[in-house]
Amino acid sequence: MATLHVLSHSPFSDSRLSSCLRLLGANDGLLLSGDAVYALQPGSAQLRALEMMPDSIGLFALDEDLTARGISAAQRAQVVDYPGFVELSCRFDKVNSWL
Amino acid sequence: MKFAIALFSAPHAPSSRRALRFAQAALAGGHEIVRLFFYQEGVHSASSNVVTPQDELDISGEWRDFVREQRLDGVVCIAAALRRGVLNAEESQRYDRPAANLDDPWALSGLGQLHEAAQVADRLVCFGGP
Amino acid sequence: MRKSLLIISRQAPWSGPGAREALDIALAGGAFDLPIGMLFLDDGVFQLTAAQQPKTLQQKDLSANLQALPMFGVESLYASARSLQERGLAENPLTLAAEPLDDAALAALIDRYDQVITL
Repeated sequence: MATLHVLSHSPFSDSRLSSCLRLLGANDGLLLSGDAVYALQPGSAQLRALEMMPDSIGLFALDEDLTARGISAAQRAQVVDYPGFVELSCRFDKVNSWL
Repeated sequence: MKFAIALFSAPHAPSSRRALRFAQAALAGGHEIVRLFFYQEGVHSASSNVVTPQDELDISGEWRDFVREQRLDGVVCIAAALRRGVLNAEESQRYDRPAANLDDPWALSGLGQLHEAAQVADRLVCFGGP
Repeated sequence: MRKSLLIISRQAPWSGPGAREALDIALAGGAFDLPIGMLFLDDGVFQLTAAQQPKTLQQKDLSANLQALPMFGVESLYASARSLQERGLAENPLTLAAEPLDDAALAALIDRYDQVITL
């Protein structure tokens, strides 16, 4: 049962992203929202870690949070809006938000 | 699909707005929201006493309008709410407090409502943190 | 079929009501006879250490409340072996019979449950 993991904390001041990366299943997805989109910052170790994920793991980022922060999504990430977020939560079997 | 949406953050947290936009998108996409359940700091997102400066987004007001207009089942966890001073008229009388800050359309109830919603829904989606 | 719910508790015990409120979700689910699991991850494993004296902080004893989990029918209890190891707790006795699982086993655990709440 594939899980969509949702993060919203900055990976530079919080351990949720690294904890999450260790627990990802082969068909899970990862949606970055809020400050978690800083993980896509070019040149960061966090982006390198995300780029090392197997291709089977979907990487998504919420468009408004990228735009607000002036971050352009890396090629690896698929940008979604709210309808896209809803669609993802239907596509995956469950949603695990790291509160 | 049937969604149960749980909110764990106060109205000034970006995740409270994110939950609201998600809920609106879910309904716009033809999905159903079986219940909204507000827990932990989420109880503040239902407070009717939040006063937002005029040029800022009033998220607790938007939540209230959304729940009313869409006739949703908006439940605020009673234990979490009492602990944080979010009371309806009945509770403010019961505990002899000077004011109530929770009103229609919100209902105070227990954690069983979260579990029941999770059982009925196809998806439980939680929002909280920043 | 009742849906199973895994509660992942990541909060240290005395950093606010977070740990207690995560436990309350598990206990409420147990009271309704739902299939509930609880996983202690990251700082959440600090909830399981012995010799805590929360009275000095004028707090109720969370350890004692955790003992209620099996009584409420919540017997699927797990802890991250890595989180324990990182915090120097791998060899310490835990106050709750939580099964230590490595990362791969945790991924499989999350996969098994219908729903997850991570607090």
